[in-house]
Amino acid sequence: MTTSTSTPSSTPAAAAPVTSAAGTGTAGTAGRPAAIELAGVSRWYGNVVAVNDVSMALNAGVTGLLGPNGAGKTTLLHMMAGFLPPSRGAVTVDGEPTWRNPGVYRKLGLVSEREAVHGFLTAYEFVLASARLHGLPDPAAAARRAIELVEMTPAQDRRIGTYSKGMRQRTRVAAALVHDPTVLLLDEPFNGMDPRQRMHMMTLLHSLGDAGRTILFSSHILEEVEQVSGTVQVMVAGRLAASGDFRSIRRLMTNRPHVFAVQSSDDRALAVALLRHDSVTGVDLPKGGGITVRAGDYGSFTRALPRIALTEGIRVHRLLPSDESLESVFSYLVEA
Amino acid sequence: MNSTVMWITARGLFGRRRFLLLLPLPVLVIALAVLCRWLGVAPGNWAQPVLIALGLAVVLPVVALIVGTGVLGSEIDDGTIVHVLSKPLPRWQIVLPKLVVAFGVTTLTVAVPLYVAGVLAESVRLGLALAAASAAGALAYSALFVALSLVTRRPVLLGLVYVLIWEGLLGNIVSGTQVLSVQQYVVTFADRMAATTLFDGQVSVTVSVIMTAVIAVLFTLLAIDRLRSFSVAGETS
Amino acid sequence: MSTSDQLTAARGTGPTPAGPAVAGTTSNGAPGGVIHDIGYQRYTGVRLGRRHVVGALYAHSLRTAFGLGRSAKAKIFPWFIVGVVVAAAAGLVAVRAQIGQVLLSYAQFADTMSWLVIFFVAVVAPELVSRDLGSGVLPLYFSRPLRLVDYPLAKFAALATAVFMLLGAPQLVMFLGGAFTTDAGWSGVWDEVTDLAPGLAYAVLWAGVFSAIGLAVASVTGKRAFAAGGIVAVFLMTTPIGGVLSVLPSVTANQLAGLVAPSSLVQGTGIWLFRDALITEAGTGLDTGGFGPLYGLVTVVLIAGCIAALIARYRKAARR
Repeated sequence: MTTSTSTPSSTPAAAAPVTSAAGTGTAGTAGRPAAIELAGVSRWYGNVVAVNDVSMALNAGVTGLLGPNGAGKTTLLHMMAGFLPPSRGAVTVDGEPTWRNPGVYRKLGLVSEREAVHGFLTAYEFVLASARLHGLPDPAAAARRAIELVEMTPAQDRRIGTYSKGMRQRTRVAAALVHDPTVLLLDEPFNGMDPRQRMHMMTLLHSLGDAGRTILFSSHILEEVEQVSGTVQVMVAGRLAASGDFRSIRRLMTNRPHVFAVQSSDDRALAVALLRHDSVTGVDLPKGGGITVRAGDYGSFTRALPRIALTEGIRVHRLLPSDESLESVFSYLVEA
Repeated sequence: MNSTVMWITARGLFGRRRFLLLLPLPVLVIALAVLCRWLGVAPGNWAQPVLIALGLAVVLPVVALIVGTGVLGSEIDDGTIVHVLSKPLPRWQIVLPKLVVAFGVTTLTVAVPLYVAGVLAESVRLGLALAAASAAGALAYSALFVALSLVTRRPVLLGLVYVLIWEGLLGNIVSGTQVLSVQQYVVTFADRMAATTLFDGQVSVTVSVIMTAVIAVLFTLLAIDRLRSFSVAGETS
Repeated sequence: MSTSDQLTAARGTGPTPAGPAVAGTTSNGAPGGVIHDIGYQRYTGVRLGRRHVVGALYAHSLRTAFGLGRSAKAKIFPWFIVGVVVAAAAGLVAVRAQIGQVLLSYAQFADTMSWLVIFFVAVVAPELVSRDLGSGVLPLYFSRPLRLVDYPLAKFAALATAVFMLLGAPQLVMFLGGAFTTDAGWSGVWDEVTDLAPGLAYAVLWAGVFSAIGLAVASVTGKRAFAAGGIVAVFLMTTPIGGVLSVLPSVTANQLAGLVAPSSLVQGTGIWLFRDALITEAGTGLDTGGFGPLYGLVTVVLIAGCIAALIARYRKAARR
């Protein structure tokens, strides 16, 4: 089983071919199938290609599926969840195909983007029904456990129609978790949640991921992904543009200068000294003090800075990469 | 037979306003029958308009349409079908319980007023015959409309085309189409079981029995097959 | 310092046909923000009045009724019905040319096509009315110079026009067939015209009643499927009631039976107004006794009542 990710060969100012960083893309150990595996998956509707030759293998942990609206994230998730057949390629969960295979749902839980719940049921009834439909031996206990996991126990006997958006979301997560799936797919789970609920959901996802489950959630809000997981799969216009830890992805894009914010005891002198170094392409002195340095080569600049500072006798108070946020990574990829 | 699916379907049906649409029609049948009986109109005069034209030709298909498209169609419309699809259930275990609920609710809603009207018209035998015939019709109609919910995105409209144009308009004008009309089978059943002079079936009993069975089985299988390949594309579908 | 330089540089670029760029300054004198003039202008030209607004809504609704300007799927149902009625009319023309006898007069043709008219209204009225209600775009309409009553009236006019066209087109076909195959020359054509006129007036009656009822029912719900089902249910329910009333022992009840169902109501009014156009053989047709004027009155009241209900519905919906 290969772990190659598709190279964005057609994109002009392309990043250097991105290979997955350690941790996400490794194939199953000892020949076991990966928890989720996509092999050359494409999906088109007539002339519109929604997903274009995507290959990935995901294992335990939390992965973020990132991309602008219309990038094909929901299509990809629905294919993984068995609600869409791939036009080409194979989608497997734990080695089993997802399309036309109801048995796969024993290991799979899905929280879809659409907020569709039976409004006339209470949360407990809804999760209990989910447990019963899964054929669990003790549905009532499983339902209570799942509701407790999402902290909906106090409100569980009210009708879902009376819930806030966040509560409905949590109820759906409980229903998706009630059968203890090894794979959990969430489509834009933080939509419309307030910061407190978001934090709670993030903690929950992390704990589930640490316990060995494979969790894939999609988002187009960069701050969420940044905080929940460091590993991302970035989709742009149907293609997989990058995979792995987003900081590593950033570093692999050597054609874009890295931007650093430096605060030192003597800004101007440091600026002049830095300009002499090869790796530095530009220096700015912004109004509030400090220096903004644009460096072409991350590695050599970070090695050179202490040496230069030492030689000049300048004390560096602070060195921050200022564009390593997911936002800037994202915009580089999208613009490319 | 999956009781959870049946329970959710039944609760979904009764919890919505569309269910109220079902009530005026059976009440109307009973009210008219009572009125005619009270005013002393000869059954030969009012049996045709009330029992056949209203009861079997309008109330039965319309109730079956509302219920049949409601059990599956409304869940597809608002997206809650995903919850029952993402379970390790063989698809027939989803379709059959819903079909049972549709059949049960339709039969109950239609058979009871028709029984009452039949008793008022002639005899208990007519009442029972009408009830049994409407049950058979409910089976065929429910299978048809549940399958329609899965085949098209506007099942109510297509169902109306079938009921209004095919059975209603063409069935009265072109006698050849009566062989393919569930309404005619139901009338034939009622006529045969009650042996009444109040109305006459136009199609032979053998054909009716076979076609009703064929329709019920065929469309159930179609529904199961379509549900197996049911795709949910997402918001922009 | 780079930011302020960028700002002053930008101010110089861009077309400035009229009006300077607006610059804001912060308290310490440095420019804080600039609004660049890239040529956007407020519309200061002529604005057409309410009549044009209503006319536009009417025209758009009429086009929607026949699926023009929409996808192919929206054209299927309306044009299928149009095809059926025109084909029926063509068939009648052919028969008349062959055997020289008139099977159906113009007005009777409208009666025969009642099922199709019901179906047409059941398909089109939800498209006109339920779609806007269900998708919540009414605030967009009413935040324009469109009065509250204009909207339902324009929709009613559009649907009535559409139904009239549906019934009038085949009548025209029959007229052309009759006019071209007549052997009495111009007087024959004139006879046809005098037969056609009441037929068209009858079609107007049909259009008014059925559109009013259809729109009133469709405006209750925002879901097209329910609206269609509701319209059909209303029409289908009332016919057997009329049938039952017509077999009651009382002659008065029989004569009043037609009031209950819309199609027989229109028929009764038509018989009162154009007796000969509708009753070509003695003893057939609806028996209205002396209640003809009552039928006419109920028709008018029904149309007015449905329109009033429609307007009331929109008053409530627009307030939300």
